[in-house]
Amino acid sequence: MLSLSARPILLPKPRLRRLLLPRPLSAATASALTPPTPRTPTTAAPADPTPLFLRPPTHPVPPAALEAFRRRAAALVPPSAPHLHRHLRWFLADASTPDHLLRAPLDELEALWLAHVRDRRPFQYVVGNEHWGGLVVAVRDGVLIPRPETEAVLDMVRAVQGFEGGWWADLGTGSGAIAVAVARMLGPHGRVFATDVSEVAVQVARLNVQRYGLQDKVEIRHGSWFEPLEEVKGKLMGVISNPPYIPTGDLPGLQPEVGWHEPKLALDGGKDGLDHLLHICEGLSSALKPGGFFVFETNGNKQSEFLVDFISTKWSSSFRNVEAVLDFADIKRFVRGYRR
Amino acid sequence: MARALLRITTRCCSPLYAPSSLPSRLRSHGLPPTLRFPSLSFSASAASTSSHGPSSGKEEEEDDQGKYENYLGMTDDELMAQCDMGTFKSSGPGGQHRNKRESAVRLRHHPTGIVAQAVEDRSQHKNRSSALSRLRTLIALKVRRPINLDNYTPPVELLQILPLKSTIRSKDVGSQIGPNNIKFSPGMQALLDLLFAVEGSVSEAAKILGLSTGALSRLILSDDSLRAAANELRASKGLKPLR
Repeated sequence: MLSLSARPILLPKPRLRRLLLPRPLSAATASALTPPTPRTPTTAAPADPTPLFLRPPTHPVPPAALEAFRRRAAALVPPSAPHLHRHLRWFLADASTPDHLLRAPLDELEALWLAHVRDRRPFQYVVGNEHWGGLVVAVRDGVLIPRPETEAVLDMVRAVQGFEGGWWADLGTGSGAIAVAVARMLGPHGRVFATDVSEVAVQVARLNVQRYGLQDKVEIRHGSWFEPLEEVKGKLMGVISNPPYIPTGDLPGLQPEVGWHEPKLALDGGKDGLDHLLHICEGLSSALKPGGFFVFETNGNKQSEFLVDFISTKWSSSFRNVEAVLDFADIKRFVRGYRR
Repeated sequence: MARALLRITTRCCSPLYAPSSLPSRLRSHGLPPTLRFPSLSFSASAASTSSHGPSSGKEEEEDDQGKYENYLGMTDDELMAQCDMGTFKSSGPGGQHRNKRESAVRLRHHPTGIVAQAVEDRSQHKNRSSALSRLRTLIALKVRRPINLDNYTPPVELLQILPLKSTIRSKDVGSQIGPNNIKFSPGMQALLDLLFAVEGSVSEAAKILGLSTGALSRLILSDDSLRAAANELRASKGLKPLR
């Protein structure tokens, strides 16, 4: 999965105009299900790993040329996907400034838009950010795009008594979205330790920590789950994680934006999807201080029910108030509880 | 440039400016059938949460403000406190399975049952403020407050949206506020209240506001949603629509 992010893109520029002429969009109009084989991945990550929205606006463009691009891009939007018009608006907002400067040459913008519409490259990778939990989180190929469901974790953290002053861990932080958002809620003594086994994730998470000026509050550590946290063992007020939880067998059926483009490392939870969740559960009691809080995201109802039952029977002496929590779609999305 | 485009597109999508161009999902949520102009009769005034009848005594008159809540005079926080906020539910497994923005905001204003929503921004925060300003407009359009015509003085919010040539408008009211100004809603609400009290007669209302019938008609026609509300009100009184 790391190789995905490093693959350079070399697009034959003269072909672009031709590619952008409207034609029927088979892939883009297809259902949300992934066809058996992805189309040839014409679009890997761009050569410049800096997220588009953070690049300096150094490319002047005549208003008429930009408007012509907007019309061409809009013509590519199939009637079955009207939300792409909204994406186009956001794309232009992120890629340009009011005084007609672009953050990438127009040719590159054309290619990026095409990749989104035709190759189902996630919009968030195209512009390099996701608006999440009140933040603009930088993302790029190789890190999981934060999901709206996960925002609920922030409310759960806020509901923990004395959370402001505690030490928190975010395991498998990815873009660092949770770590940054939690750190912003903490008081002067609160800290977040965020770990990830992926080097790309560590880079992106550090970028986000830096963008929000939280270097003193958040420490990003490279390593798997609890591994880099030896010396804070038993001192944590809370452990948060959104680990990979999708059963391996479900991966081929994922929405193309997810299955074709997001890192398997961040999605694949093993045969039942529980591999990493169970590993995290095993480590909880030694990582948390007495009374400490944990919450993690799961694949939904069955997994949550299983984990609640598993934790409360196997470790009944270690944990209390273990329960499943619903997401906004009324799916039991989270499992939370306290160490005794 | 892009910002300007964004602004224009947003406006086009807004129910405030172009109700007919709304996606059907928005429209049906925005105006639940049972709530369509619930306020067109005194007895069923959506604004009144109390069981008080029309004002009959001194004590009641002093109570007027409380009786017919001045929702548009509330701060955003106060108004928000009267609302349920929901996001749109998605079907399917959700979580890591899906790539989908869920920043849409749906506000349900408890006292009136009015629903307002916004989907066009990535940030839930911005969608919330768009939904809130839409809610203000919908309240202005739908919530009718009774007026006693015998001792009626137009409130300053109404004076502010009148053209300068109105003879009851003094200099200190300031310049005329147009439909794009957030302060237009309270004036629009007061205007519809008056129009309702005079049984939809534009000429009657114009007399009270010190305007010619033509000038008041032009004001009403200057905003699509105001025109639609005024015409619906007139239709309920058996009057022809303004054009």
